Amino acid sequence: MSDDEIKNLEIKLRSIVETIDVANALTAPLTLSIENLLRISAAEINSEEASVIVRDGDAGDLRFMSAVGKVAEHLKTLKIPSGKGIAGFVFSSGQPMAITDVGAENTFYAEVDKQTGYSTQTILATPLRHDGEIIGVLEYINRIGEPPFEPFTSAEMDKVALFAEAIASLVNAYESAKLFRDLGDKMLSADEKLKLEEMREWIKNLRETNEHKEMIDLALIVRELAGRGDAERQMCKGILESVLQYSDTKTETSFLSL
Amino acid sequence: MTTVSAYESNEHSSISMYFQIDDGWKLRTGKGVSVAVIDSGIDTSHTDLQGKVKESVEAGADNKRVVFDKSDTGDSAGHGTACAGIISRIAPDAEFYSIKVLGAGGLGDGIAFLAGLEYAIKQRYQIINLSLGTTKPQFFAPLHDLLDRAYQSGCIVVAAANNLPQPSFPSVFSSSLISVSKHEDADPFNFGFRYGEVIELTAPGVNIHTAWLNNSYKSLTGNSFACPHIVGIIALLLEKYPELTPFQVKSALYAIAQENLDKNKVKTADQSNPSE
Repeated sequence: MSDDEIKNLEIKLRSIVETIDVANALTAPLTLSIENLLRISAAEINSEEASVIVRDGDAGDLRFMSAVGKVAEHLKTLKIPSGKGIAGFVFSSGQPMAITDVGAENTFYAEVDKQTGYSTQTILATPLRHDGEIIGVLEYINRIGEPPFEPFTSAEMDKVALFAEAIASLVNAYESAKLFRDLGDKMLSADEKLKLEEMREWIKNLRETNEHKEMIDLALIVRELAGRGDAERQMCKGILESVLQYSDTKTETSFLSL
Repeated sequence: MTTVSAYESNEHSSISMYFQIDDGWKLRTGKGVSVAVIDSGIDTSHTDLQGKVKESVEAGADNKRVVFDKSDTGDSAGHGTACAGIISRIAPDAEFYSIKVLGAGGLGDGIAFLAGLEYAIKQRYQIINLSLGTTKPQFFAPLHDLLDRAYQSGCIVVAAANNLPQPSFPSVFSSSLISVSKHEDADPFNFGFRYGEVIELTAPGVNIHTAWLNNSYKSLTGNSFACPHIVGIIALLLEKYPELTPFQVKSALYAIAQENLDKNKVKTADQSNPSE
């Protein structure tokens, strides 16, 4: 590999690592926010289990991305085959629905219950949409307390639709960041010309540079400001755009030397 | 007897009679009326539906085209069976045609859904149950075109609203189809009409006990299950008055819903003043 090729590769790798780290820094709190919203919404409708289910691969299968409740950890290990269960239907049809007497024999949920030791009796499921696309399903199972459980009501279905809108935005951001990470990992592992250990060392060094740390700090400051309200967000955006504009006009002069 | 008016009456105008329908339609069974259910298929072996499904087809891909072939795969989710079960309880002698577009392998949801609607219109089924919808903007124009074709062909399309903040298609196309959302009342004949609203009709859609997979029954809630109630009602109307156009059916539903509203008001007044 020539010096130029190595330099080009380094630039590409630097860009990938920076993208991955910024994406991680910005989206790490997303999973927490999704779980918090799941907890709040589940409490609002007196439900015991709440989960976010998203697409898994291209064959239409689904997986549990986030879950809260008694069997949350077990659910996160499960996959839902294409078109199976209420979640599968809601994902493909886009129609919210609630159902009681779910765990009858020979159903998908009977199989899941066997694995989790749980008894699914009543479900409320609603699609998660982003820009017109269905990106997942928001599902609530059973009530808090002892069975028999009251069915989920029409009003609860409408209430959950509002939570779904907020959760869908977070899920979309999380899934986009995950795509970035997966793509970065693939690109890193696909390059056979550099030895893996060398590359790890190089990435480690890159992450320890002040330039890289400052970029992550900057991303975190922007995130912090954006969360403080509309006025702060607008002001931050305005200032950063002005800096960019100014920087564009001073291409040949160092910013700090002015 | 229900008088279907040509226009809304108020203090400035008088009612102009459009046509009249007698209450005999409520005693009909939907005999001979063709009903297409575009959904996840229908379980034809369910006790409630045995012998009622005249044909089942399923969407498949053939060189980038969607084709419909005879299907014996039944229902992949239970939803189509649930919808057919609701229609069958109101109109037990209606003829069912299952058009399976959900769970049909390898096809994008919206593409199969559109193709299923086009297939139903070509077959000229009298009523089309669409307890599905899409919010994808790219399907707005083609769905609009199909709905107009259905209207011109005399096919009555009944679509479920979604109860999400975003509008879903085709339920928001109020001119050329009948759109339905759920209400709590369980009486299928006591449906409502919300004149001027995007989703005009309301029908039972809460805790509806209906057919499901493996010859079972479930209690279901959702606009999906309000839609087939109105389909069942229209099947009764069409058996009695087979010449009604989609516009006339919608006008009749409006007039009947107005009567329902008046009856409900009297009932409420009686309950609050029992001594009178």
